[in-house]
Amino acid sequence: MVMGPQKGEDREMKSIERVGREESGGMSRRRFLARGASFALAAAVTGPGLTLLSGCGGSSDSGALKFWQFYGPGGEVEAQGKWFEDAVKGWNEGHETKVELQYIPVTEYLNGSKLQTAFSSGDGPDLFIISPGDFLRYYNGDVLQDLTPYIKDEARSDLYPNVMATREVDGKIFGIPMEVEPMAMYYSVKAFEDAGLSEADVPETWDGLLDVAGKLKKGNTFGLLFDTNPGYYQNFTWYPFMWQGGGDAVTASSQKSAFSSKGTVQALQFWQDAIESGVAPRKALGTGANDIVANLSQGHAAIQNCGIWAVAALEANAPDFEYGTFKLPLPPGGEYTTDLGGWAFVANSKGQNPEEAGRFCAWALASMSEQSVTRGVDWIAGADSTVAPRKSVQQQAEQQGAFDEGPMKFFREEAFPGGRGEPRYTPEVYKAVSDAIQAVQLDGQSAQDQADAAAEKIDTFLQTYDGARIV
Amino acid sequence: MSAGASETSRRRLSRKHREWLAAALFVAPDALGLLVFLGVPMVLALGLGFFEVTGFGGISFAGLDNYRKMFADPLFFDSLKVTIQYVVGFVVGVFVVSLGLALLVQQKIPFVGFFRSMFFLPHVVSLVVVGLVWQFMLTDGVGVVNQVLEAVGIGGRSWLGDPQLALGTVVLVSIWFFMGYYMIIFLAGLQEIPREYYDAAKIDGARSWQLFRHITWPLLKPTSFFVLLVSTITGVAGLQAFDLIYVMTKGGPANSTSLGIFYIYQQAFQFNDYGYAAAMSSFLVLLLLAATALMFVLTRGGRFETE
Repeated sequence: MVMGPQKGEDREMKSIERVGREESGGMSRRRFLARGASFALAAAVTGPGLTLLSGCGGSSDSGALKFWQFYGPGGEVEAQGKWFEDAVKGWNEGHETKVELQYIPVTEYLNGSKLQTAFSSGDGPDLFIISPGDFLRYYNGDVLQDLTPYIKDEARSDLYPNVMATREVDGKIFGIPMEVEPMAMYYSVKAFEDAGLSEADVPETWDGLLDVAGKLKKGNTFGLLFDTNPGYYQNFTWYPFMWQGGGDAVTASSQKSAFSSKGTVQALQFWQDAIESGVAPRKALGTGANDIVANLSQGHAAIQNCGIWAVAALEANAPDFEYGTFKLPLPPGGEYTTDLGGWAFVANSKGQNPEEAGRFCAWALASMSEQSVTRGVDWIAGADSTVAPRKSVQQQAEQQGAFDEGPMKFFREEAFPGGRGEPRYTPEVYKAVSDAIQAVQLDGQSAQDQADAAAEKIDTFLQTYDGARIV
Repeated sequence: MSAGASETSRRRLSRKHREWLAAALFVAPDALGLLVFLGVPMVLALGLGFFEVTGFGGISFAGLDNYRKMFADPLFFDSLKVTIQYVVGFVVGVFVVSLGLALLVQQKIPFVGFFRSMFFLPHVVSLVVVGLVWQFMLTDGVGVVNQVLEAVGIGGRSWLGDPQLALGTVVLVSIWFFMGYYMIIFLAGLQEIPREYYDAAKIDGARSWQLFRHITWPLLKPTSFFVLLVSTITGVAGLQAFDLIYVMTKGGPANSTSLGIFYIYQQAFQFNDYGYAAAMSSFLVLLLLAATALMFVLTRGGRFETE
């Protein structure tokens, strides 16, 4: 009774083995399994090994300092990537410790996790660029190298103090800006003409702006574009409207929130009015409201709130597009100001060679040598279109006629004076402000209620905050 | 007889051992990968929830502080609410649509293979590409969706810029992406049902709805359970939705698409609060386990039997 099934099973197994041999080209199933298992074992053992090996090869074991930035080949303006390459080439030719550029796509650099995860895993780049909006995150994380020892007094006094305020802590410099980027309004000349408007109709007040935007709205073209994507950039573009009416996120002493104020509430309300009146879209095209080529020049909006960098972007990508610029309009009784953004070179204090990384930053952007000044001019008036963060660079660029006419003259003479450096807020303050902007602008919430709620969140955070001063 | 039986038993045991060994070796690479890249990080994340982790090397024991912070954080509960809305919309939608498609492509119609491939095609595209393409098509004013709506007399809307519409739009894109995948699963389940049942019912005069109600639906319950379970896990974990939201809305407008997983991402990678993010992740896993257990209990492990 027992043997029967066993015999049957053996016969079945032999039959399967025969089929197996036939199917595997003469190889028995046993051998097939054995070889497969060996192969799997080999893969299991060598796979991770290969991964580890490839990981070793991917990092900069050459001793070169890794420099992460987002101005790479194929960028919006090709000359900007070239400027970085030239700067690094100039350093490498005269220094034993080399610098190696590593390009991170701009969307990943601005909103992604690559830079943060690199630091979290103890493998942050030796050099990188940051905006004031991100300064405190890295400073409070104790990864920014003090650059003061590498900058001579003469060069230090060459840097504009108001631009440096958000890059300094207790009198020490932790970032060297490569540019100053004021915000302003751009408009399409054709859209103005089509609406029967001229330069004389350029608005100077918030109400005037909404009125003109209403006249410009036509078909699929909106009258006005403010940023609508939640993020650091949206906050950056909204701050000047808050400041114009005397509002602020925190008090001058950084001890308390100043967000629940008339200036803040009216700025929130102004952006809501732009959306609810239908003159401004809820979404920008391209990469967002910082992308002037995809929006203004393509007719998505007739007026766009954007920074000085748009001059270079339009020149490179829409050279025939005719546009004008004007200062940020004011609320009743408001005082003009704008946001002065800009990226800065910083060095990783926990990198492989923080001292050489610090020297590179100073050599590149804060030396009184002719090459350093020329490099600054090449950036602000060549590769990019910005105002300089230091006097000597600004003077040389002006001598070369970079600000003699057109939009650059406007930015230098009208938009820039009276501007305020982009604030350095902590992520907690940024988030509270961002949530308020989003809720009022796009969800129709009460400006006063949202300002109060944000102020409460900021106050709660400030009670336990012990990092560098919020400026 | 006894010696022969013993020898056969040894041979059987030996063969079994060899096969077990072979199977184990085949499974080992995958199991090792899961352990190293999923198991270990899960345990670490659970532990991190009890620490304050700065993201720059700073770590200190925080006890239950992160959990206290979580229960006092209205944004976290808002994100849970958004997650629930997303899951309900996605699970119900993808279930109905994919079952409907499976019933359609099960029919003997010309080019059925072509239609099956077309419905499955979205699932092979990268979610980032899917997000970008849909974002382009849903653009305010000039997007093809609004152009079509305006052509038929319906005013265009801001699908991704209006908090009332944005989450629903993300749900629809998610359903579009997943419908082919679940359609294949349903199709496999449908093809398991013996044709004889349908033939017998038809002889008895059963109509289409009766066939579906009394044959297809009851015999498809195990497959339905699998689809419900997997789509719920997919929805709550939000890993696929994360890609879409990251590309299309960044959690906006006004946090209306900020799923739990997106809020956790923000806390970890934008605000450097890894400990808090880990605590929220652990809580989300607990919710997921509870939801899964509930489904198992309600459906008796997917068997749906009353006895």
